[in-house]
Amino acid sequence: MKNRILIFVLAAAAWAAPALAQNSPLPLPPQMEKELAARASNVTEVTLGKNMLGFAAKFMNSKDRDETATRQLIQGLDGIYVREYTFDKEGQFSMDEVEQLRKYFETSEWSPLVRERDRKGGETTDVMVKLVNGETHGMFILEAAPKELTIVLILGPVRMEDLGKLKGIGGLGALGSVQKSMHKDKDKKGGNQ
Amino acid sequence: MCVELEPMEEMERELREAFQRRPAPPSLKRRLMEKRRTQRRPIHAAVWQRLAATLALAAVLGGAVEWRHREEERRKGEAAREQVLTALRITSHALDQVNTRLAAHDRGQE
Repeated sequence: MKNRILIFVLAAAAWAAPALAQNSPLPLPPQMEKELAARASNVTEVTLGKNMLGFAAKFMNSKDRDETATRQLIQGLDGIYVREYTFDKEGQFSMDEVEQLRKYFETSEWSPLVRERDRKGGETTDVMVKLVNGETHGMFILEAAPKELTIVLILGPVRMEDLGKLKGIGGLGALGSVQKSMHKDKDKKGGNQ
Repeated sequence: MCVELEPMEEMERELREAFQRRPAPPSLKRRLMEKRRTQRRPIHAAVWQRLAATLALAAVLGGAVEWRHREEERRKGEAAREQVLTALRITSHALDQVNTRLAAHDRGQE
């Protein structure tokens, strides 16, 4: 009888674990997230699943062009997960931690769009996109500077033209320029690694 | 003396007349019943008034609960909206920096 209960508990845990993990698909182990947050002087965490995005979309101001474009952009998304850590001094996170995060996306599903390493300045930048049938279905941005670590994961169909419309929000249309620069760079030397 | 007794007799006579047993008029019962019926009407009205007041109170309370629920929804929605805008601002900032670095990289190559 005890074994049956144990099997039931284990089965329930196995069933619930993926569901719990789906709350935040960021490949950031909770322990690491806690440690980074503890070391940082400023932390911004945004976790928005599909339902929350749909809910937020209803509250976008239809009179504002940017917010209208934002609504169009987020309505089809599956989630937006952002972590931004700002540190008072350098060396508060290791490159191993950054590498650990990056490795999670080194799968056939994700294609690197930008990979920039500035060893002198200690800055690294990665932009990866998830391509499904040639369409962007996700974007991962990992940016590490000596005093700043930014992780952005956008899941779902990301329409670049919608991003381009978001001029007011700090110029999300910059992605278009990033892509252009990337293509120019590829033409020159076949990739920016 | 005789002059003083006369009013007393008069009063006694009047009292006797007043206390004299007389049969009730035949319409008295009907009138009483009618009066009772008419007096009942305000009771009915009071019940309706109470019911109307209860319904009005329930409507006010229901409205207040609904308003509070909507207000809570609006507050949550505004918070979610702010979160979306914050997330997009951070994304935008990150992409801007990527763009700046790529531009610098391009310039370096040229």
